[in-house]
Amino acid sequence: MPKFELSLISPLLNASGTLGFFPDPRGPLDLSLLGAFITNPISLRPRAPASPPNYQPYPGGFLLHTGYPNPGFRAAIKRYASRWAQSTLPILVHLLVSGSDQASLDELTYMIQRLEGRPGIMGIEIGLPPNADAQTACAIAQAALGELPLILRLPLENALLLSRALSQDGLGDTLSAVSLAPPRGAMRVPEGLATGRLYGPALFPLSLATVLAIRETGLTVFAAGGVYHQEQFQAMLSAGATAVQLDAVLWRGGWQSP
Amino acid sequence: MPKVTGRVAAIKVDRDGSRLAEIACPPEAIPGAGQYVLAWAPADRDSPLATTVFSARRKQNSFLAAPQLPASWAPGTQLEMRGPLGHGFSPPANCRRVALAAFDRGLQRLLPLIFQAISNQADVTVFSDTALPGIPAAVEVFPLGDLPTVLTWADYLALDLPRRAIPHLRERLGLAPGVALACPTQALVFTAMPCGGAAECGACALPSRRSWKLACKEGPVFDLNDLEW
Repeated sequence: MPKFELSLISPLLNASGTLGFFPDPRGPLDLSLLGAFITNPISLRPRAPASPPNYQPYPGGFLLHTGYPNPGFRAAIKRYASRWAQSTLPILVHLLVSGSDQASLDELTYMIQRLEGRPGIMGIEIGLPPNADAQTACAIAQAALGELPLILRLPLENALLLSRALSQDGLGDTLSAVSLAPPRGAMRVPEGLATGRLYGPALFPLSLATVLAIRETGLTVFAAGGVYHQEQFQAMLSAGATAVQLDAVLWRGGWQSP
Repeated sequence: MPKVTGRVAAIKVDRDGSRLAEIACPPEAIPGAGQYVLAWAPADRDSPLATTVFSARRKQNSFLAAPQLPASWAPGTQLEMRGPLGHGFSPPANCRRVALAAFDRGLQRLLPLIFQAISNQADVTVFSDTALPGIPAAVEVFPLGDLPTVLTWADYLALDLPRRAIPHLRERLGLAPGVALACPTQALVFTAMPCGGAAECGACALPSRRSWKLACKEGPVFDLNDLEW
């Protein structure tokens, strides 16, 4: 069990990758609406943007491939730790796991241990490597357990399968929550095939159904995916989500509070 | 970044059929040459993202928005706007021979520079292969293929080019490898900027001399020498 509990002052959160590495009051959202701030994904080593990145709109949403560029864990701590400490919002640091091998798990443990005790940090959210299976998800959850509350971000398309495995492995009590990562998709473009994460309002019915199903496993869920309106936010809470993460709606024009 | 409210005051159709919108808004929200705003019509409830809007012509309390614009925008459409965002063009104050080149359908985005240069009594030459918007008669116009001939004449060069044109730029400028440009050159790199700088998401990352640059925050207008091309 983590030493500290996750306590949100509001069930509204930003999804990782939507508002940068630290809460910026000049951004598109009134930060006082949020219960916590989730950072962009941070990996142990620096990651360059995808070359080239890809943005492909389609009816109801868009596909995005960016490579999750970030300066790497050590540089991120140097650049942002003081901003996290000064933040009026609790910070959830999103960490990327590079793989499922022991070296990757050791990297994860290393990063988490260096975040423990830092001011302003309320917890950790972990992004799974692409195509992570149930065994990998459980191994990562075990490796990440420490003092800080832990949220495991599961790809929407596999979230139910992985949630069942986590629950059966007895990790339901040790994980503070699972959250939902954008599903991956593919589109035919003139240069060939574009793959990437999917965003947009068209995802909402799938996200809502996934939240309902995950709740059956007994895990705590932070919903995400296609939430653009207040009634969708409320629907997610009614379905049993403890919190709701907003993604591309924040880039469109912010969030309309009721 | 404060949000402001705007309104589509009129829709104009250009000679090539592209639509421009006159957007009424507070003067402080009007983007400068090469800057942009993100605009979204709340009536379009399920639009996934805002539209990136560049100015083609500034007026006192409105501006003419360059294509491409959503088909759903009509006179009277209310808009929520964030901006101006990004870095725009900054031609040297004393330039007298200004060359502008649009590699795609981006000439409208260069129009504010044309009017600015003319008001500064500079000679202006435009290179484009697309239909011309209403530009002053004093502007000389040439096909894009003639661009290399002007490089020794101009004392400032402004480009509007899509990201995919960057690898071929040296060839289009007629420059041999390693040969530098003779005059200050800025380029508006037209690429998707879905987060508008809110997330540093990386969708608009461009290779630069040192590492990469984000068009949404560090551009979309760059000194060409800062980019890898």
